[in-house]
Amino acid sequence: MEPLTETKWDAVISGTGLKHSLLALALSRSNKKILHVDQNKYYGDAEAAFSLQEVDEWVEKVGGETPEHFRNASLWKTTSESSNESEKLSFSRAYTLTLSPQIIYTRSKLLSQLVTSKVYRQLEFQAVGNWWILAENTLNRLPNGREDIFQDKTIDNRSKRGLMKFLKFVVDYENQTELWQPHVDSSLAGFLSSQFQFPTNLQNVICALTLSLETPEATKVNWSLPRISRHLTSIGVFGPGFGAVLPKWGGGADISQVACRAGAVGGGIYILGTGVRESTPSSEDTDGLTQVHLTNEDVVKTRHLIQPLQTQSTNAKVVSKIIAVVSSSLTSLFKNTVEGSPLAAVSVIVFPVGTVDVEGASQNTPIYIMAHSNETGECPPGQCVLYATMLQSERSHELLDVAVDAFLATLEDKPSLLYKLYYEQQAEAESSETSLDLAFNDSILDDVESMWRIVMGEEADQAMFMRFEDREGMNNDDDEIDEGY
Amino acid sequence: MASDESIPTLKILMIGPSGAGKSALLIRYVDDQFDSESSTATIGVDFKMKKLSVHGKAYRLNLLDTAGQERFRTLSNSYYRGAHGIILVYDISNRDSFLAMERWFEEVESNAQPGAVTYLVGAKMDKNAQRTVKLEEGQRMAEERGCVGFCEVSSKTRENVRKPFVEIVDAVVKKPELLSDGARRTGTVGIGGGQGGYDGCSC
Ligand SMILES: Nc1nc2c(ncn2[C@@H]2O[C@H](COP(=O)(O)OP(=O)(O)O)[C@@H](O)[C@H]2O)c(=O)[nH]1
Ligand SMILES: [Mg+2]
Repeated sequence: MEPLTETKWDAVISGTGLKHSLLALALSRSNKKILHVDQNKYYGDAEAAFSLQEVDEWVEKVGGETPEHFRNASLWKTTSESSNESEKLSFSRAYTLTLSPQIIYTRSKLLSQLVTSKVYRQLEFQAVGNWWILAENTLNRLPNGREDIFQDKTIDNRSKRGLMKFLKFVVDYENQTELWQPHVDSSLAGFLSSQFQFPTNLQNVICALTLSLETPEATKVNWSLPRISRHLTSIGVFGPGFGAVLPKWGGGADISQVACRAGAVGGGIYILGTGVRESTPSSEDTDGLTQVHLTNEDVVKTRHLIQPLQTQSTNAKVVSKIIAVVSSSLTSLFKNTVEGSPLAAVSVIVFPVGTVDVEGASQNTPIYIMAHSNETGECPPGQCVLYATMLQSERSHELLDVAVDAFLATLEDKPSLLYKLYYEQQAEAESSETSLDLAFNDSILDDVESMWRIVMGEEADQAMFMRFEDREGMNNDDDEIDEGY
Repeated sequence: MASDESIPTLKILMIGPSGAGKSALLIRYVDDQFDSESSTATIGVDFKMKKLSVHGKAYRLNLLDTAGQERFRTLSNSYYRGAHGIILVYDISNRDSFLAMERWFEEVESNAQPGAVTYLVGAKMDKNAQRTVKLEEGQRMAEERGCVGFCEVSSKTRENVRKPFVEIVDAVVKKPELLSDGARRTGTVGIGGGQGGYDGCSC
């Protein structure tokens, strides 16, 4: 085998986060020589998934206030030794807790690219089912389509008409600019109130669909309409009753592993626990190649070095997050409400502003909890994993704690908390907050494509981007049977 | 095709150090080919499908190769996921490859689903003159590690190449708890065709 230092690499890719893994996938049939490294001993970088033991190690690393993407991590575990299996923590690897629980809307280009690149065969997708709003200590299910709205008793008839009018408008908003152009910089809530006479509760329903982390005032019309439209038009694309999916076994984390394997099948070399220390730009005495000093002391030569965004802007947005394991399968949350729909594995719970408070601080921005059932493979049967998120503030940690408790208190079987990981995550840059989006943001794919273009150079053919044939294994399924015994 | 759907699929992995002969064994078994010239990693082999029947019942084997990710021990969790059986391969003419098996067994223990069976293979038995690992040593390791079987093979001469696959499948199908797992896919959503899928759609 050729030593790494002798090879003239076409690209050295640093980091196996979702974006760079998708790049590796995009390059996997290019015959380019790819060296893909990650300073962490695991795949996935900021989109990794962990066993409980791996979380312990991760918390050690990101426990402080260091200006990394992740900071202020802290962990609480139950000491319960209950005889009931679901009332206590199982073994470390019974859990796959993910830093990347983003839901993927069915119309996302990511899904079509996973299909045309054929790696979707290695992934299992599960439905994101019911959406709920928590108000006055009860969970109210968001209406799922028109039929549902008519049957919803919590909405009065006047509001129903307004709602239908709005829904009709929003799925066609691109052709009805005259209706919203004058209001682009208004808040969505104000727009709904002034143009459609929505009462607050209905404003909340619509705002919830945007998954906005900002205050209602800062959630603008021009940002919101495409997101609401995406939500509504995504329902039913792959089956009734759901508009988004999540890959089993840790969401984005699993996509990144599968994409890296595709890179390896295409000849890419993978090294974990090794990062890029520094690089020397190409010059005449390096044949126009960049010299890359790896943390394992190797110096390799490459035409392109792809690194994660390094700018650690202190102004970039920060969110607070809790990952919690609870002692219930939360069956009522995932229950089918539309005939023929698949059993959902993910459910979304929205806390509009002002739903919870702590002494001396009110909740000024929405809180979202994504509940994952054990069908996601992230926890053992009889338990669920909650992923709670809100914009970081002085009291956001406490507010998230209260929100998780408030949510559990609405449930009949009063589940208990078994495990709680708190951390903060900063956006990759002021200009780019895609990593914080609660739904997979397709602009990540534009970045992947432009990096792919750089590495491919003149060979870049847009029509071939992420479009591959099945590997032979799939097709040579001839009828010949090996008669074993 | 229709009848194919009813054939249970078994996921079998190959692991072990680089150069041990994993890809050669896979390709010899499935395609009956052997390329003695190739010394570099086999590029482009993702997995191979093969039908095999044991005791009169047919199974579809999904045989996964390491794709070179064993070189720096960077196989991912997802590689091991759902595997029913794991074939661990060393080279009988390379003692280091045999000694490395300890760590590969540990990796299996921490990554494979509980109950997955293991099978140990000593490859390149035609290289008897250069042998540095005794047959008995392999046998003993397999026993100590609770493997369901052990044998030496030669992908070059074809000797024993079917044996590991037939025997590991026989052991897997004797564990119904391993098989029931695959059927439990109630919540899975098809995105690639079938139910209103993406394949033919240019939108
Ligand atoms: N003599 C002999 N050589 C073999 C045998 N199996 C594999 N090889 C050679 O050993 C080298 C490594 O084999 P390969 O299957 O690529 O190993 P892998 O890295 O474990 O996949 C290649 O040069 C093969 O031709 C065998 O049974 N006999
Ligand atoms: Mg190989």
